[in-house]
Amino acid sequence: MSTISTVAAPVSSAPLGRSLWGDAWVRMKRDKIAMASLGVVIFYFLLAISVKLGLVAHNWGETVGKEYQPPSLENWKLFFGTDIFGRSVVMKTIYGAYISMTVGVVASLIAIPIGVSLGAIAGYFGGWVDDIITWFYTTISNIPGILLLLSMALVLGKGLWSINIALGVTYWIGTCRLIRGEFMKHKERDYVQAARSLGAGHTRRIFIHILPNVFHIIIINFSFLFVAAIKTEVILSYLGLGVQGVPSWGTMIDESKLELARGVWWQLTSASIAMLIVVLALNIVGDALRDCLDPKLK
Amino acid sequence: MLNYILRRILYMVPILFGIALIVFLLFNVVGGDPVLLMVGRHATPEMIQELRHELGLDRALIYQFGDFLKQIATFDYGRSFSTKQDVMQMILRAAPVSFVVAAPGFVITIFLAIGLSLFVAFWRGTWIDKIIVISCVFLISAPSLAYILFGQYFLAYQMGWFPISGFDMSFPAVLSYIGLPMIIWLVLSVGGELRFFRTVMLDEINQDYIRTARSKGLSERVVMFKHVLKNAMIPIITSVVIEIPLLITGSLLIENFFAIPGMGSQLVDAVNTSDLPVIKAQVMVLSMLYMIFNLFTDILYSLVDPRVSLK
Amino acid sequence: MSTPVLEVKNLRTAFRVEGGQLIAVDDVSFSVMPGQTIGIVGESGCGKSVTSLSIMGLIPNPPGKIIGGEILYKGKNLVNLPAPEMRKIRGNEISMIFQEPMTSLNPVFTIGNQIMETIILHQKLSKADAKLKAIEMLRLVGIPAPERRVDDYPHQLSGGMRQRVMIAMALSCNPSVLIADEPTTALDVTIQAQILELIKGLREKLNMAVVLITHDLGVVAETCNYVVVMYAGKVVEQGTAEDIFFRPSHPYTRGLLNSIPAERADGDERKKGRLETIPGLVPNLLNLPKGCRFMERCKRAQPETCSKAEPALDLVGAGHKAACFFPYKEERTPGATESRAEGAAKNRAEA
Repeated sequence: MSTISTVAAPVSSAPLGRSLWGDAWVRMKRDKIAMASLGVVIFYFLLAISVKLGLVAHNWGETVGKEYQPPSLENWKLFFGTDIFGRSVVMKTIYGAYISMTVGVVASLIAIPIGVSLGAIAGYFGGWVDDIITWFYTTISNIPGILLLLSMALVLGKGLWSINIALGVTYWIGTCRLIRGEFMKHKERDYVQAARSLGAGHTRRIFIHILPNVFHIIIINFSFLFVAAIKTEVILSYLGLGVQGVPSWGTMIDESKLELARGVWWQLTSASIAMLIVVLALNIVGDALRDCLDPKLK
Repeated sequence: MLNYILRRILYMVPILFGIALIVFLLFNVVGGDPVLLMVGRHATPEMIQELRHELGLDRALIYQFGDFLKQIATFDYGRSFSTKQDVMQMILRAAPVSFVVAAPGFVITIFLAIGLSLFVAFWRGTWIDKIIVISCVFLISAPSLAYILFGQYFLAYQMGWFPISGFDMSFPAVLSYIGLPMIIWLVLSVGGELRFFRTVMLDEINQDYIRTARSKGLSERVVMFKHVLKNAMIPIITSVVIEIPLLITGSLLIENFFAIPGMGSQLVDAVNTSDLPVIKAQVMVLSMLYMIFNLFTDILYSLVDPRVSLK
Repeated sequence: MSTPVLEVKNLRTAFRVEGGQLIAVDDVSFSVMPGQTIGIVGESGCGKSVTSLSIMGLIPNPPGKIIGGEILYKGKNLVNLPAPEMRKIRGNEISMIFQEPMTSLNPVFTIGNQIMETIILHQKLSKADAKLKAIEMLRLVGIPAPERRVDDYPHQLSGGMRQRVMIAMALSCNPSVLIADEPTTALDVTIQAQILELIKGLREKLNMAVVLITHDLGVVAETCNYVVVMYAGKVVEQGTAEDIFFRPSHPYTRGLLNSIPAERADGDERKKGRLETIPGLVPNLLNLPKGCRFMERCKRAQPETCSKAEPALDLVGAGHKAACFFPYKEERTPGATESRAEGAAKNRAEA
């Protein structure tokens, strides 16, 4: 490839002994926008934890003003006005952040272990084990995603936990495919053969040798899965199939359907902006991770 | 080639079986008793029993599964629990609606994305490239609902350019009803498509054979439109074709919002009323469609890429 | 003495990279006479490929740019030549073939189509005539049954055949200069020999000048009249093949020649023993030392002189230059490669 690295080939501008991660971190630090985005993501996480700990927005249900009060600067709680019950839109938005971050984490915690395990087993052992697992995920992936999600939502009932499970069970497939491909590639590589010749058994080879080498792919996959989970939860909650009884960005948008006609735009705007910022930040971080962790893209 | 097609169609059978199994397990086993959902609170045990018998739900699971398989094979999914209409008829009515609403936006988006990606590839590395990339990331990060709600609010409600909701299949009224959905679809999807196409174009531009083409003295225009484009079309076509079934699955949010009676609306209604026959039918029919398009994509791929031959 | 068909004068090409500006080609000069083969030798990263791409005007901008010097083709300066004019020269008067035959041909067009493209572009022939010419070219480069193969796709050909197709494509408009960037590196040894023979034969037939880029001194010995040795972006030695092989002046050139594992020749004691190497690594082009770039690895280096300034390219013999403060003066005992060079040089002298 006539990229600059072939044409000009500057020989090792990286000091000796820097690992993939160390190198990636250094490169990432230079990307100011990516670092800022990482900061934003961390901020959202801290916000979510604060809510969980009861430090903020636990009282989102209390009335802070009249109904449909427009945004004002007199009180931080009124920064985005109030909804039909006079509740603080800001607090509802913060609570919504808690919901979204939770969904992102939990859905990923369900999808990724399943996807990685099945993918690793399928890719590594091959044969009939691979055939069964492939048939399994091919079957599920032939069902258009939205249909699968809604079916699960129906069957599992409404509520946060149903969404988490539905998301986890739908999204493990992408991870599984990726990891399976990676394991198939790595299985035949020299370093694995070398480990084998040194007496390493299957488990050792899978966990200690190959897995660390595909870990960066898992991380990148995680960042994009997180985004998908957030977006999906918003849609499901909007349709009334998601969280019940507590605000999420989806329910806020659902409520704003009727509000817009009355000229009340602040709940929609608040939820949209909150979501835009975190999804944008996650997308940027995901892209940056992918670029920095790609050893070819120096 | 014919061999390959036949083999693929044969392979679809175990997959379809698997899907049927999953759907069956999901709805008939894991899910709640549909009868209870249907009859409401005041039903007597006899009514429940009768309904159960009518729906064949009192037989052993194995027979129920057999029934389901028969339904799939004959494309007869019975009647909807809530509307009492024939399910296949409902689907056949709703599918074209979804398609008509989604297709124009889709087509425009794809052409626009291909054109823009070529443009961006030509100007790679410059501020034009950067602006477009940033715009794409922004577009895909905003909640789709925001586009829909704001779109409707400003363009239909405020400006009155489009009807606020509803649908009319007759020509030319249909044009005004698909106008706003088309614009929204464009805004929703152009970001993602453009990002992907741009990556494809840039991959192509960095290939050795493009360097060879330039070394022959070809102008950049010929290099882009002949050499880069032809190679880039391979992954682009294959990824675009596979999205076509989704046009029929329908954009849930747009349909729900604009009260358009397409497949998406139908699905949401069915979920809200626990209308199992409709849901099961949609899943089976759309999965079949998806698989057929998958096969179609693979065939297309072999026609477009001379390196690929299907065995 | 005829005038050179190609003259590179003080060429400097730089790239903007993460970490600064990298000067890949630093003040490189050489001349190519019609019908001559000039070899540019050096390790990976020494700037030889960038030199050839600079001549063709194919340096990707961004991030690269020619920042100094001239490239005179038949008297016309190619640097900063308007693009339409440069395009008339590329593929037509100066052609190039690349290292990777597997990826250098467009997979979705037939090889005939790709050869015809050049012909139609520069010679304005009709499609039918262009196709006939393409078939002729395929025959010229030794592809059997060219009338049939002209409609093949690249993936249907082996690596050696693809390289022949590249050569056919490059020569289809009868260029005056052929730049061959490591044309045989990616091929098997036996195919290598065939391709080199092909290039040699065509050069004579078409009276074409060849700029051969390689890291393989064996290849240089077989084919080149004149040699330019590059290291870390600079020319460290240049001269006739004889000069380089028998009277190498620069320590780097000596090191390169000494490190060729010589084949066992009859009764020659020198062939046994350890392989010689040049210790150390090529310097980081973003962080160059102040003095001579080769100093760290040089056996003859004397820090007081060698670290103070970069040596200039001075004459060490007729038409033979080296950039060293302490060039070797002695002749070198030839090994097997040199015997081949000697033989080849004799052949060329007699021809």
